[in-house]
Amino acid sequence: MDKLAEIAKYLHAMLGRQSKADSIAWLEQQQSGISGDSPSGFYLAFSTASRFFDKAPLYVNRQDAARACELRPGFSPGHWNCLQAARAYLLLLYPHDNPDKWLATLDKLFETADLHEQEALYAALPLVPNPALLKLRAAEGLRTNMTTVFDAVALHNSYPAEYLDEPAWNQLLLKAVFLQRPLYQIQGADHRANPTLAQALIEYAHERWAAGRNITPELWRFVGPFLQEKHVGDIQRVLIEGTPLEREAILLACNMSSLPTARQRLEDYPEIQAKIESGELNWEKVGKQSHSTAL
Amino acid sequence: MTENKKRFIDPHIHVTSRTTDDYQAMREAGIVAIIEPAFWLGQPRTQVGAFQDYFSSLVGWERFRASQFGIRHYCAMGLNSKEANNEPLAEQVMELLPLYVGKENVVAIGEIGYDDQTAAEDKYFRLQLELAKTVQLPVMIHTPHRDKKKGTSRSMDVCEEHGIDPSLVVIDHNNEETVQEVLDRGFWAAFTIYPHTKMGSERMVEIVRSYGPERIIVDSSADWGVSDPLSVPKTAALMEKQGIPDDHIQLVTYQNALTAYGQSGKIKEADWLEADPVDQRELFEGNSVLRGQSPKVGYKSSDIVEN
Repeated sequence: MDKLAEIAKYLHAMLGRQSKADSIAWLEQQQSGISGDSPSGFYLAFSTASRFFDKAPLYVNRQDAARACELRPGFSPGHWNCLQAARAYLLLLYPHDNPDKWLATLDKLFETADLHEQEALYAALPLVPNPALLKLRAAEGLRTNMTTVFDAVALHNSYPAEYLDEPAWNQLLLKAVFLQRPLYQIQGADHRANPTLAQALIEYAHERWAAGRNITPELWRFVGPFLQEKHVGDIQRVLIEGTPLEREAILLACNMSSLPTARQRLEDYPEIQAKIESGELNWEKVGKQSHSTAL
Repeated sequence: MTENKKRFIDPHIHVTSRTTDDYQAMREAGIVAIIEPAFWLGQPRTQVGAFQDYFSSLVGWERFRASQFGIRHYCAMGLNSKEANNEPLAEQVMELLPLYVGKENVVAIGEIGYDDQTAAEDKYFRLQLELAKTVQLPVMIHTPHRDKKKGTSRSMDVCEEHGIDPSLVVIDHNNEETVQEVLDRGFWAAFTIYPHTKMGSERMVEIVRSYGPERIIVDSSADWGVSDPLSVPKTAALMEKQGIPDDHIQLVTYQNALTAYGQSGKIKEADWLEADPVDQRELFEGNSVLRGQSPKVGYKSSDIVEN
């Protein structure tokens, strides 16, 4: 069995556990109606799936989650709902032997998708048969004004870090900061940190400060590895004026840096340094805490 | 949010033309759900792509935007009668419709019917009635401004000819001259409270007093013209003041619309009474329309623009 068929089988099994027999029967019937000759059966199945599956969270236990990762590293259906899973399943059924035709069909589907269909499509990007063909589509998804659609591309999704080029990737991070999204939920983000992004984030921080606004402490995660002598004033500012969480975040950033002044700042706070070294303080913790207090 | 307040549905409003101030005022006035029928935009479209983007906004962006203000957005899909007169374009729009009618928030085919009552309008009205039958959706009918009485009767004749049960059809923009026939024939009779051209709210009170609340629906049809997105709650308030019983008001400003369009299986009270956690996230967590603000509770003006 090829990988796609295995993933489809996995989604089918997950849905089978918590959906009505009628709904599963409908899903199975669609196999015969979906062909590469005409996409209309596929379009219809994709949109009418909402009549058969609801948006209850997909129940994923620890073993299921591990299995998902085996099938496709980064695949995290624990953040999906049943309707999304059913739509991803249908997406995998559509023939892909002719990439041009496949892309044209997908383009039409994206263009005419409703709110939740867009979420399902973008969240399924890492699973599709010709993922590299959808790079521009993913970048387009990041231009949305709908937070839930942005989240579907940006959060709990392995596609962006793997496929987006640097300008699009940097847009993702900047926009996630701008929209106050939880950055710790962006997969593979540390590997894609880069000096251009760090510079843009620093400028964003200055702009926010000038306006008398807060900045997310998670921002420093992507600045840390690229700290320069000229940023020492910014570090100092956060250490003196920041909240305890912001102080922890800027010291975590200093810990990512090889800049001697930054290392020195870290040593000025031995208790926090110890928490960082023991792993008690980390970016995930900062992200979670920051987003629980923001609510 | 409105536990102690009355709830309203505006089953006909073109919110793509309205501002966020309107949404805030609507929510504050107790509107929990709206239906936006596809219509023309004040000037005719010249390309099918313009229809595609408009239809996409009705199932995508506008639905999201409404949710930001705690209002559930549904829509009706269709080719309106005015633009049915551009036949080459109409053909292309008809090809587009199957992509949209199955979407989750599409609760009816509409607003369709007659404007000038031309042959082209008749053709696409009938084709769309057949589409409604195929996908088993209710129909929202726009009755013409000119020669209204004849156009209204004719719309109902055509529905019957196509074997569509009147209980699945809402005849909109009624007046004192059309209401009796619409009710007698078993259709839903909607009234649009729209200044100068359609119904006034005082006349509406008298209609409910004379005909009772059964199968009568009040809407605003607020759009890009001088109109009022608060027509439904305002009319309800006037009815209350003028002695219409509460349960009658509830039927004509909420329940009847829910019953009529609920036949689609796609709009139900639980959608707003039991909003799921996803909506809470949409509403309160750094969303794009509100830019991190909480939805306003009061509808007040200030010289200070929030930072």
